[in-house]
Amino acid sequence: MAKRIVVDPIPRIEGHLRIETVLDDHNTIAEAYSSGTMWRGLELILKGRDPRDAWAFTQRICGVCTTVHAIASVRCVEDALGIKIPDNARIIRNLMNATQQTQDHLIHFYHLHALDWVDVVSALSADPKETSEIAQSISPWPKSSPGYFKDLKARLTTFVESGQLGIFTNGYWGHSAYKLPPAVNLLAVAHYLEALEFQKEIIKIHTIFGGKNPHPNYAVGGVATAIDPNADNVINIEKLSMIKKIIDDTNTFINQVYIPDLLAVAKFYKDWGSIGGGLGNYLAYGDFPETDIHDPGSFLWPRGAILNKDLSHVDEDVDPKDLSQIKEEIAHSWYTYDGKADGGLHPFEGQTNPKYTGPDLPYEYLDTDQKYSWLKTPRWKDNPMEVGPLARVLIAYVKGVDEIVDTVNFVLKDLDVPAAALFSTLGRTAARGIECKQTAGFMKHYYDQLIANVKKGDTKVYDSSMWDPERWPKEAKGFGFTEAPRGSLGHWIHIKDKKIEDYQIVVPSTWNASPRDGKGRSGAYEAALKGTPMADPEKPLEILRTVHSFDPCLACASHVMDMNGNEITTVKIV
Amino acid sequence: MKITVLGLGNLLYGDEGFGCTVARRLQETTDYPDDVEIVDGGTQGLYLLDYIEAADGLILVDAVIPLEAGFRIHRYDNDIPALIQKKMSSHQTGLTELLALARLHNRYPRELVLIGIPPKNLDMGIGLSPEVEALVPDVLAMIRDQIQAWLTP
Repeated sequence: MAKRIVVDPIPRIEGHLRIETVLDDHNTIAEAYSSGTMWRGLELILKGRDPRDAWAFTQRICGVCTTVHAIASVRCVEDALGIKIPDNARIIRNLMNATQQTQDHLIHFYHLHALDWVDVVSALSADPKETSEIAQSISPWPKSSPGYFKDLKARLTTFVESGQLGIFTNGYWGHSAYKLPPAVNLLAVAHYLEALEFQKEIIKIHTIFGGKNPHPNYAVGGVATAIDPNADNVINIEKLSMIKKIIDDTNTFINQVYIPDLLAVAKFYKDWGSIGGGLGNYLAYGDFPETDIHDPGSFLWPRGAILNKDLSHVDEDVDPKDLSQIKEEIAHSWYTYDGKADGGLHPFEGQTNPKYTGPDLPYEYLDTDQKYSWLKTPRWKDNPMEVGPLARVLIAYVKGVDEIVDTVNFVLKDLDVPAAALFSTLGRTAARGIECKQTAGFMKHYYDQLIANVKKGDTKVYDSSMWDPERWPKEAKGFGFTEAPRGSLGHWIHIKDKKIEDYQIVVPSTWNASPRDGKGRSGAYEAALKGTPMADPEKPLEILRTVHSFDPCLACASHVMDMNGNEITTVKIV
Repeated sequence: MKITVLGLGNLLYGDEGFGCTVARRLQETTDYPDDVEIVDGGTQGLYLLDYIEAADGLILVDAVIPLEAGFRIHRYDNDIPALIQKKMSSHQTGLTELLALARLHNRYPRELVLIGIPPKNLDMGIGLSPEVEALVPDVLAMIRDQIQAWLTP
């Protein structure tokens, strides 16, 4: 492309993430500060609206995770109004949720995180025959011939030499922290492209059940698309067999491509099994009910909390409706509560009063002794918690969920690392793969449940008994949640006179990316970054690795400065 | 010829919702044959790759910071940068990156038009600013003309 026009689409999505780190004399991270630099105020937009419409707005909060916000939203309204959804609606929501999680993890690993570990430029010097041998030794996946990798290498070379595409000039290629041999790099790049292609298939499940994509329809009381095995324009036999094929292909891809790649790459980075652990406190609301959302004992991803890396015990007393358990603090957040600059409130009593006291733009650094983030600081029983795949996998592991125990033990054995290696950046990344395998299995499970119901003649997907607001109580409160790809997501609603009086959302990235609390204790990102050695502070690849391992839901600019306060480098990603 | 109109943006941030709003208005007001698809793509990133790659003629509608200043409709034909950038979140997959991936897959649309407006208001809130709203009829007309031109053999 000879001529170039700069068209700069506006940065979008939930907010921007800024990481400021302070290095010691040995280029190790001494302190880290995580800031959300974009104001969100969805709570205020929802006030006064019809609770039955809230899902359609919350679905747009996150650029990508439409399903999880929509499900949390309809669940909170149903909880408030005492609506019990039909079994098929439970199954279809679970299936859509599992689909989102599986697809999202796959995209995260290949499209975002892999390039932290895989040196694309090094792949150009790979011997395709060697790549083929490695591929065939780790997986039965059919695309593994020397010719396949030879063609790919040629395509890649043309692509890089054309110079028209930024991807291969923009990375920290050649950085000493990249450890994979060229042949493994080529394998990973091949699967990066295959995964991009494959993820387009998975999400077709949303189009079928949601009636449309990219913004599927949801409904308070059930799901929006009818089932009739023999009719057109609904979920019929033809569509069900399409879904079956997608689910089978998804499981094959994860088991034959994602998991073998994850292990093959991880073997070269076992030192990251002791870096990036952070808090050691893990929380999950749990999800995927087998009976009813009010029956946590039936959740396939169990509810619970682990404190201080204690793998002998899960605290099962997690109740997000208990006013004493979850509090959102604002000691370092640009908000006030009743005019005060400090304090903590449960989301049912939550307030959204923005008050920016940070520096004027453009600024070099945030004053991290003061308020420095638009994110609030959620705490569970006064503890900072990490949420996400690692939290879910650890809780399921300690609670003895069979498949998780087996997969975790298999991964630990294959990598030859102790269980303590799970508390790390590597552990977080491995946990996402383990979870993806598990959740893809759920897709099969729910498909079978749905078919069993349809065979019995049960095609009910919707309960209309409380649709009419005339039947609602004058005032009601409800909590809706889901385990989103990035972690526990909660929506709290207060309905009054048929309208939304208050709505509070605590997203997973709020738990993980939160600033310090009133006692000066770090959130999960901040804690995980502390102690990380940096090979080259000008190219902070190590920061990206750990932050990416959490899969942030925020766009970002990352800053590194030395102890003297001089800015060494700015990594701006718009 | 498969024609796709893809509106991009976030409905919750004022003029950021320009592309989505235009897509919705087109859906409400025009009845096209089956091979013309109008999509409110939101900020769905990679989810949208399939729409881009499946199109022979693609019209993208988005809020843009244009190369030349000026509060007006900015139109770019075919020559749109295809760039993949380093990023913090997999949710940051922007339009230029989707185009780069389509090019890498050899499935770049044969004809490509980007229609954009510079936003006036990006604060949290639903609805376009009056200034941007005033441009919407011309944008709709421009899109309809382009579709018609492509449909006419």
